[in-house]
Order: sequence, then structure tokens, then C-alpha cells
Amino acid sequence: MRHHGSLGDGGVVGDGRVVVRRVFSMRRAIRDDWPGYALDLFTYPKHYSEDLECVYIPHGVIMDRIERLARNIMDDLGDHDIVVLCVLKGGYQFCADLVERIKVLCCNSSKTLPMRVDFIRLKSYLNDQSTEDLHIVGAENLSALSGKNVLIVEAIVDTGKTMKTLLDHVKAFRPKMIKVASLLVKRVPCGTGYVPDYVGFEIANRFVVGYALDYNEYFRDLHHLCVISDSAKQKYKV
Amino acid sequence: MKDKHLGMASYLEVRDTSDVCMTRLRVPVYKQVDGSELFVQKPIADDSKGHELDLFCVPKHYEEDLDSVIIPNGLIKDRTERLARDIVRDMGGHHIVALCVLKGGYKFFADLMDYIKALNQNIDKSVQLTVDFIRLKSYSNDQSTNCVKVIGGDELSALTGKNVLIVEDIIETGKTMETLLKLLTGFHPKMVKVASLLVKRTPRSSGYRPDYIGFEVPDKFLVGYALDYNEYFRDLSHICILSDRAKEKYQV
Repeated sequence: MRHHGSLGDGGVVGDGRVVVRRVFSMRRAIRDDWPGYALDLFTYPKHYSEDLECVYIPHGVIMDRIERLARNIMDDLGDHDIVVLCVLKGGYQFCADLVERIKVLCCNSSKTLPMRVDFIRLKSYLNDQSTEDLHIVGAENLSALSGKNVLIVEAIVDTGKTMKTLLDHVKAFRPKMIKVASLLVKRVPCGTGYVPDYVGFEIANRFVVGYALDYNEYFRDLHHLCVISDSAKQKYKV
Repeated sequence: MKDKHLGMASYLEVRDTSDVCMTRLRVPVYKQVDGSELFVQKPIADDSKGHELDLFCVPKHYEEDLDSVIIPNGLIKDRTERLARDIVRDMGGHHIVALCVLKGGYKFFADLMDYIKALNQNIDKSVQLTVDFIRLKSYSNDQSTNCVKVIGGDELSALTGKNVLIVEDIIETGKTMETLLKLLTGFHPKMVKVASLLVKRTPRSSGYRPDYIGFEVPDKFLVGYALDYNEYFRDLSHICILSDRAKEKYQV
């Protein structure tokens, strides 16, 4: 697995180019041909035994990565009040675990990060394809974001179109600042190139499920991130 | 079992884990509508002062706002682990739809789901589990009957024929939950059960008891573990008693 380096706030890169002031999030890039782990190395619900090809990212690794993301967020946003905007349903697990890690840091470090949590729901997937139409539920909450520091917490950024649309929506309510944390970012050929501020893992263009990510509502009850089998795509198709 | 004082607030010492000992932790039995009995474990006494803040870790920004810790996070987790086992035992025969009541219910919901998933990974007969999130708005219509509106969530018709588990943070009067349950019967789920982390001992209670209860608590102002005061304190891990000064400080 390759690691992308941090470019920090700007400076001169090796070939002499001057980098504009930007923070490049360090993320764990998983290469395209990563085969994943065999299922039998881990535990998983019996009712999915025919439906999974492999364990792509084990639960423990996700938790360890989140521990670090929490520290990064604390380093950047510590001592500011933030509103955490959890994108349901897929984001709920990542949000719960991330908020939990940040709380631990609040008790044990010199900085603190008072957080409020709010929830919105986006509907844009049909089977395993991301669609253009974005339906935001719970949008009346967004008026409470005016003048606040907002941390959007999402499970996965695919093409980036959904996130861009959501950001435009949120910006209309004039928050003081918006940051985005996404557990996963997919390498897709036709993406918008959008990169969240905090990224857990950069993954290949495979359809992953588990850790609250679903396929037509199934697999949210799986704690590892896995790749589903083709037979499962048919079995649970809408 | 003895009350022991070790420089700490008193706690219940459980000598051994035999059934006899566990039975003594149980309190008066409540008879449910269907005749079955419900044991309420771990009641927190009305005059319980809770534990001193210094014994635990609390976010710095709340240090001045809390009087005491009434239920530590670890205890909540351990109790939740047991509720998960009871739920899977009773409802694990058929597809469970877990319905989280936002916003207060979300922390208990996440932890409860984690424990149910942990059980599911390791038993021979696992149960399909799907989740949904709803908000409840209770209101009175012109006939002054209690109504509840369910906001968000998938179509309630998705509950037909399923084992529905409603997950709530706290039951106070019980009226909202009773109204919701009436609403849901119209969609013909196979079974509906309610799990609430807390049930308040209050004269305003309608007498409704959920199927699964974490703790029974006194009628005090509690915050933490997703229970809020004007949106604050949701990011506190333990359940605590709010100080009077903080009630002023965070008033809307």
C-alpha cells in the first residue's frame, strides 16, 4: 500500500514548482490490484457467506485509521466549536466512531473540541451506480449552520458529484467554515477530482460494502469493508 | 452484597456471579400487558449523588458544568452488551429492522448495533439486520388526541412482516412511544419491540415500559451519552447530572 505524503501549507516541490497554499490530506492508498484478505481469516455474519468475495479493509484497521484522523482533526480544529454533519445512512458508523475518538482526545489532551451532531440524508445510489439526482432529507437543519464551523462526515466519495452538490447546498447557509471528512475516496475515471480535507483510505474502483456501506440496504450490518460477489449483486438487486 | 466505601462513592460489590447473587440485583417485578414479567436491573436510586467528576475523564469544555457522573460510559457499554444478547435471543429468528430515533437515540443505537453485530459474526444462526433513522414529532390534533409524526426514514411499509426494534435514548412519560407503536401496528410488522437505554422514574409516566431497559433513573436533569441540553453535551461519554449554573449558561 502506497502512502501519499503531506505537502503541508505550501512551498517548493522537488521539480521547482511553487505549490499554492493547500493542505494535502495524507491517506492510505490501496492499489488497484490489491486482492483483499480471504474471508476465512476473519469473522462475519453467516448470512453473508455466499455474498462476499474478500475482506477489503478489516474493521480493526478502520478503527486505527480513524484514531489518527481524529488526531488530525483535533490538531487543525482544536479549541473551535464545530457542528458535525453526519450524512446518513452510510456515514453513521464512521461518524459514531470518529466522534468517539475525538471525545477521547478531548478528555486527554490540552486542546478540546466541543461538538454538536446533526444528521442529513442523501439519496443518490441506484443498485451500485452513483446517479446525478440528489435528494437531501433533513435540509431544514441546515439553517442552524450559519456562522458555524461545519465538519461534514461522509462514508465514501465516489465521483465527487454528490459531495459537490451537498457543499453548494451547505454554503448557501453561510457557515463560517466547512471541512469534509470521508472514510473512503474512490479512484474513478470520470470523477470531478474533488478531494475531502480528511481521507481515511483511497481505494480502487470496486464496489465495497460493510461498515454501514450498503448494497440496496444489505450489508450495513457487516463490520469489515468487503467486496461483494457478482452473485450477490444479482441476488440483492432492486 | 455490601456497599463499600473506598474513598469513592459507594458501589455495589458483587461477590460472585452465581444466579442467586444476580437475582438480588433485581428490583420489583413489573407485570406487562401480555402477562409476562419484566425485571428492571440496575435502578439508580433517587437520592444517588453519582460519582465525583475527578474519578473519570470528561471533556475539558464541560468540567465546570457537571455535578457528577451518574452512569459511567463503561457501565453503559456493559449493560448494552447484555441487552444485545437478550434482543438477539428474542428477535433473532427473523429479519430485524433496527429503527433509530434521532437525535438522542443515535449513540445508544450505534453501540447496541455494534454488540448485535459482534454476536452475529460468531453464532451459527445469524440474523439479517437492516437499519433506518427516524425523527419523531409529537403534536395534538384538533380533537386533542396525541399524534406522532414520523419524519425521515424509508417507507414504513418496509416494516411489514419484519421484526422491528425501536431504539430510543430515554422514556419519560411514555406517551410518544405508545403513540408510535399504535401507528406502526397499521403496517403489520411481525413483531415490534422497544429498547430504551433509560427509563425515568416520574409521576408523569403513563405506565408504559419498553421491552428492553438499560437503567431506570431518577427524575433529575441528565446529560451526556447523546442526551442533550439545548444541543450541548451530546459529546460527553458518561451520563451526568447537569449543574444549575450550566442550565443558565447554556439556556437558549
